[in-house]
Amino acid sequence: MARDIYAYKCRKCGHLHYPFRMVCKECRENDFFEFDLVPLPKKGSLLTFTRVYNLPAEYEVETLGLGIVELENGMRITGQLEVDEPAIGMAVEGEVKVVRKSEYDEFYGMVFTAA
Amino acid sequence: MRDVYVAGIGITTFTRLEYPLSEIAAYASMMALSDAGITDIDHLYVANMGSARVNHQTALASAVVDSLSLTPAGAAVVENGPASGASAIKAGFAVVASGLHDVVLVAGVERMREVNNLEATDFIASLTHPLAEYVYGVTLPAHAAMFTRLYMEKYGVTERHLAMVAVKNQNNAMLNDFAHLHQPITIEGILDSPEAMTNNPYVAEPLRFFDACPVSDGGAAVLLVSEEVARTIDRPLIRLAGVGQATDTHAVQEREEPTDLLAVRRAAAQSFEMAGLTPQDVDVAELHDAFTILEIVESEEVGFFPKGEGHIALEKGETALDGSLPINPSGGLKGKGHPVGATGVAQAHEIVTQLRGEAGDRQVDGARTGFTCNFGGFGNNVVCLTFVRED
Repeated sequence: MARDIYAYKCRKCGHLHYPFRMVCKECRENDFFEFDLVPLPKKGSLLTFTRVYNLPAEYEVETLGLGIVELENGMRITGQLEVDEPAIGMAVEGEVKVVRKSEYDEFYGMVFTAA
Repeated sequence: MRDVYVAGIGITTFTRLEYPLSEIAAYASMMALSDAGITDIDHLYVANMGSARVNHQTALASAVVDSLSLTPAGAAVVENGPASGASAIKAGFAVVASGLHDVVLVAGVERMREVNNLEATDFIASLTHPLAEYVYGVTLPAHAAMFTRLYMEKYGVTERHLAMVAVKNQNNAMLNDFAHLHQPITIEGILDSPEAMTNNPYVAEPLRFFDACPVSDGGAAVLLVSEEVARTIDRPLIRLAGVGQATDTHAVQEREEPTDLLAVRRAAAQSFEMAGLTPQDVDVAELHDAFTILEIVESEEVGFFPKGEGHIALEKGETALDGSLPINPSGGLKGKGHPVGATGVAQAHEIVTQLRGEAGDRQVDGARTGFTCNFGGFGNNVVCLTFVRED
C-alpha cells in the first residue's frame, strides 16, 4: 500500500497545517491535539530546488537533490528530488520512501520525480 | 527603562583555536573588562549554541564565571542558535535597563573546529525542522541555496553579485587582525577563470564554496552598564539604543512569500523604533552574511535599500568600505568567520570599535550610528541592535 504524509486539519476552523503544530496558526483555539489527519496530495509544481554536495556523514550518496514543492491544494512540502534537470515550475509527483537511515532507524519522507 | 551603554569590548582571533571553550570565552571577557577598567560584575551571560553537542560541556556560564574568578556573580547561558550572541546582549540589556543589575558581561563563544566540517554542518542543521526538513538532509547551505534560486528568478540576482559580496567582505577581512580568512580573492579567480570550478565548486547549487562563511572558533565580549557606571569610565560613550527581535515559522516552506525574510524586517523596525532612528540614519552596519545572498537580502529587509534592489546598491559600491553605507567592514561572517554563539557579540564588537573611531585601516569615517543584524535559524529568529555614539 502506498504510504502517505499527512496534513493536520484544525477541528475548530478547518485550517490545514503541515508540518504539525500544537496550536492552529489560523484560529489559535485548540485544546490538546484537536486536529484530523488528511493525506497530503502527491502532485504539485517545483517552487525551488538545489543539489547539495556537503552531506552529513551518514549519507552514502555524493550529492542529494532537494526541493520545495507547491502541492495541488496549495500547501508546500520540502522533499528529496530525483530529477535530472529540475526547473522552477515543473510538474512533479511524490512517493513516500526511506529518505534517511541511522544505525537503528529508517525515516520516511516524500521523494519527488518528474510527473 | 534606563539607558544602557557599552563600556568595554573584547575579541579573540577567529580561526582554529586549541584552547578549551571556557578559556576562549574568558579571554574575550578579560579584554572587555580591562578595556572598561572594571573588575567586578553583577551578572554574566554566555552566548553559545553547541557546547553540549560539539564540546561535551554543559552549564558553560558557571565554568566561565569561575574561571574569571567573578563568583558569586550570577551567570547563565543563552542558546538561541546562530542568534545566540545578540539574544544574550538583549538579555543583558533587559536586566540593566530594568535596574536589576548595573554591570553585565556578555560573552559569546563557539569552538566548532573540534569536529570536522561535515559534522559541523550537521550540528547546525539540527536547528531545522526535525520532521519536515532535517530528515531529508536539509542543511543551512541547502536552505540558502533554495532561497537564492528564488531570489535570482524574481529579482535578477546573479552568481556574479554573490561573488561581489564574497570579494568585498574577504577584502575587508584583510584589514582585520582578528579575521579568520586572510585570503584575498578576485571575481576572476572564483568565477571567470578556467580554474574557477576547481577553486570554487558548488556546495549547494547555485551556491559555491566562496558563498559560505568558514567554520570558525572564537569568542567576543561586550560589557553593558548603566549610565551612572558609564559616566565613570573614560571611554567614548556608546549607547545600545535599540533592541529588536522577531521570529518566523520554523519550517521555511510555510512562509507565505518565500522571498521575504519577515523576521529581519520586523526585528529591524523594532530596533529602529526604540532608538528613534531610521535605516537612513545608519553610518555603518554588520549584517549576518553566513551566505553571500543573506547580506544582499538583509540590506533590503532592514530598510537600507528597497526590496529587490540590494544587489544594485552592491554593484554601485554603496556597501563597500568607501561607499555611502559600508556593510560588514569587519569582513562579516564571510571573512571574519562565524563561531556561531560568538557572532552576534562580535558584530556588536565591530560596531562599537567603529563608533569609537578605533577601527584603523577599515575605519568608516565619522561613524556615529551603527546597526547589527544577527540571523538565527534560516530567518526564524532574528535580533537587530542599534548603537549610537553620544559624546
